[in-house]
Amino acid sequence: MTAPARPAAPVVRVHFQYDSLERQHATASLGMWVFLSSESLLFAGLFALYAAYRFAYPVEFHAASAHANLVIGTVNTYLLLTSSLTMALAIHATRQGNRRRTVALLCATIALGLGFDVLKAFEYADHLADGLAPGAYYAYDALQPHGVVLYVTLYYLLTGLHALHVTGGVVVLVWLAVRAHRGAFTPHSYIALENGGLYWHLVDLVWIFLWPLLYLIG
Amino acid sequence: MTTTTTDDLPRHRAPRAAAYVAVWIALIVLATATLFLSRAITGGPGLVVAFVIATGKAVLVIAYFMHLAGGRPIHRIAFSTAMAFLVLLVIGVLADVATRPYSGPDVDDLGGPP
Repeated sequence: MTAPARPAAPVVRVHFQYDSLERQHATASLGMWVFLSSESLLFAGLFALYAAYRFAYPVEFHAASAHANLVIGTVNTYLLLTSSLTMALAIHATRQGNRRRTVALLCATIALGLGFDVLKAFEYADHLADGLAPGAYYAYDALQPHGVVLYVTLYYLLTGLHALHVTGGVVVLVWLAVRAHRGAFTPHSYIALENGGLYWHLVDLVWIFLWPLLYLIG
Repeated sequence: MTTTTTDDLPRHRAPRAAAYVAVWIALIVLATATLFLSRAITGGPGLVVAFVIATGKAVLVIAYFMHLAGGRPIHRIAFSTAMAFLVLLVIGVLADVATRPYSGPDVDDLGGPP
């Protein structure tokens, strides 16, 4: 008895409630957009807090943001913008049926995301060594805590939540790269890759606003 | 549950690779412009300029990298609703603090050494 021949295109499951794979993919895509919308509102609460305290303490926020590491913040901005390009190109490569290029571009996206996290960790270490810690742990002698501690606490909340999203995104990208390597995606069927890409672009979107709000107001 | 191969599905419309690279170049140029403008224009106006450019960059990412421009209308409705609530929230909070008779709560008790 010979082994069954491998099918030319991957066989994918159509769940019972759908009459076609296309409709199943459309539902998954809409679900992702609803998820991204709720993620945006998670950050919206913190952006609103930032707006309120920035309005109440403009001088203190300017003084505190002057102590943010502009070089690391700017390099991280370029890293994430470039990672969005490699992500979009990875999906483009899948559409063209180029599996090897898809995996390579996903690996590049992962490397850029990890680079972001590593630089962020160095930045946190510098801040904490100076005593620029959140809330009651604030111990930076050069700036009085009044108002400044609010900026510092929001800085950790916003960048910390964002860094968690970057890290989660990297985990998803590794899973997608493994699946892409195994040939799970075809030019006609790549909904998991597309949704993973949407998530990664949202991570980039959040940073596009965090960078000027936290690093460029000083 | 049924199974199917994926050969019969229509290919999705999407930009060419060169279009993605063009959007990326625009994003890098806008980021660099933000950096230099933030040094030239400081204070409240500087924040407004940075925010406007950031919004432009966000529109580029959403429209082209996330394919919302050529995507299904229901995706645009879902996401733009969230964005509208986000803007409403920030405007409401700012309207509140801007019309208070005092500048804000005394935060000395919230942290830091006495």
